[in-house]
Amino acid sequence: MPRPRLGEPERFWSGWFDLVPAYRLAALRVILAVITLVFHVPKFNRIIADYAASSFHVPPAFPWLPIVSPAGSTALMIAQDAAAWGLLLGWAPQLCAWLLAMVGFYVMSLDPEFFAHNAHFHLTLLALIGCSADRVSLRRLLADDDAGARCPAWPERLIGIQLAIVFFYAAIDKILSPYWGVSGSSLAAQRLSTRGPAFDRLQRMSEAALPALARPLSVATILLEAFVAVAVLIRALRPIGLAVTALFVLYLEFMLKPGVFAWDVLAALLVFAPAGDRAWRVAYDPACRSCRGNRALLSPLDWLRRLRWTPMEDATSSTVRGELELVSPRGRMRSGFDALRALPIALPGPFLLALIVARSGGGFLAARGYGPWDDLPFLMLLVWLALWIPGLAPVLGQPVYTAISRAWDNWLTPARPGGDGDGSARCSHTRGIRVGDASA
Amino acid sequence: MDTANSSVQGWRRYAAVAFIGVWLGVQLVVPLVQKLGVDPFALRYRYARYSWAMFSRPVPRFEVSIFRMRAGGDREPVPGIERYVRGYRSPAPMPMIAIYSSDAEVLDRFTRLVTTLARERHDGYAYVASIRWTANHPGGSESVEIRADATP
Repeated sequence: MPRPRLGEPERFWSGWFDLVPAYRLAALRVILAVITLVFHVPKFNRIIADYAASSFHVPPAFPWLPIVSPAGSTALMIAQDAAAWGLLLGWAPQLCAWLLAMVGFYVMSLDPEFFAHNAHFHLTLLALIGCSADRVSLRRLLADDDAGARCPAWPERLIGIQLAIVFFYAAIDKILSPYWGVSGSSLAAQRLSTRGPAFDRLQRMSEAALPALARPLSVATILLEAFVAVAVLIRALRPIGLAVTALFVLYLEFMLKPGVFAWDVLAALLVFAPAGDRAWRVAYDPACRSCRGNRALLSPLDWLRRLRWTPMEDATSSTVRGELELVSPRGRMRSGFDALRALPIALPGPFLLALIVARSGGGFLAARGYGPWDDLPFLMLLVWLALWIPGLAPVLGQPVYTAISRAWDNWLTPARPGGDGDGSARCSHTRGIRVGDASA
Repeated sequence: MDTANSSVQGWRRYAAVAFIGVWLGVQLVVPLVQKLGVDPFALRYRYARYSWAMFSRPVPRFEVSIFRMRAGGDREPVPGIERYVRGYRSPAPMPMIAIYSSDAEVLDRFTRLVTTLARERHDGYAYVASIRWTANHPGGSESVEIRADATP
């Protein structure tokens, strides 16, 4: 598996007011908007509706805070929906983000029962994304016709520091808490989330191991959170820090399903991703139907502007065969199946969004009794990781890739009666070209 | 969109610096105060909201039954409880969690509720919230009953 370059932004502690590629914040905004639409707004609108329909209320956190009326609650719910869509589409995104954040904090202040740490983190990120001046709408993000959008760096610096603050205080709290400490009693008392048959064995193993390992795991969690807090701020530690953070929050999501927290953290890690550098090269020939199809599919997914479509002259035999060919920023060439499995690393935003949509959709189905669909993001991750198992590529990966590639090419080339549509996965212009590569 | 490599200038820069300073100040101070209190000579840890205290204590769980009764009588449902708090039922016990609330806040909530019920009804009943802690209760009695008499 290629090691993603996670060292951006180059100068974290300086250059707060320099202009940096706007695509990181724009991609983060789109992902936050989707999380807001599928998790946050439905939850908070339900809270607002229930609150307005109840005549009994405890006093709000601040005595001067107005109690929401039935008419006001309707306005708040409509405003939340409109703001979430505005945030997604990039229409007045700063206003929309701040509106969502303010309404969220207002609702959480109305009643202690409405507070949740994961909602607190989500609202914090919304407020910070409301500071972004990226001005890259969803349409522009998907268009991939430029890589020149710039915006001030300070909002993404603040998001990085915010992550560090959250993990720092989470570690401090666990040190000070009489329930956590080093005893492990709190960890042993956690109720683990239920999983479907695919992960049943893993879940039972975790449940069996937790009481015995509670003490070392308690200490390890404190150390891990403290390490994450430091690592996201120190450049030398950041690559390993970001990998550890991603694994840690995915583990949390798998074991405890803590609302949107894991997905928000993963989205926030995008501020450390390289952007606007066109460092991944993709061989491209405008005359090649397969290349055009690949470009039409992948360009809208290139939110961070990492792909550069290079002329055919630089291409190798695999490109001539119509296969996808990627050259990584480190210069390693990947083609066919090898390139396909590297795409999520080059295009992390859409990959993360796919996982979030799978989690949301899966959770929706699972809550209605259609089975353990909330395992879907983990199955997707498992399949993707399985693609990197040595020896699997020639046995399973390559045939699957060939089938997908053939179907993709056939879809791009509708069979015409009497025509030469033979369903082959070749580029039209390459017929007759003899490829001298042994792998061809 | 300005694509030049110029930095943020003028009043926008001062505004941004002020915002960053306030933001970091709030983000650093509020969780600390929430966890330890405001008195530097009497710092005492508490599990609190707005302090990034994720999972650092087991979630206290309890059941609460809200009902009304006459002296020596049986438990009766509170009519229209749904109108007071949507989602509540009476007199069957309702499982709840106090994930972000303290004991005192739980007691305060149900004290206020039964007091409100009694104040509005004036029907001679006693309005009762019976709380039974079922898991991870930090201390004190495992069951509490809060009564408010609705004098006719």
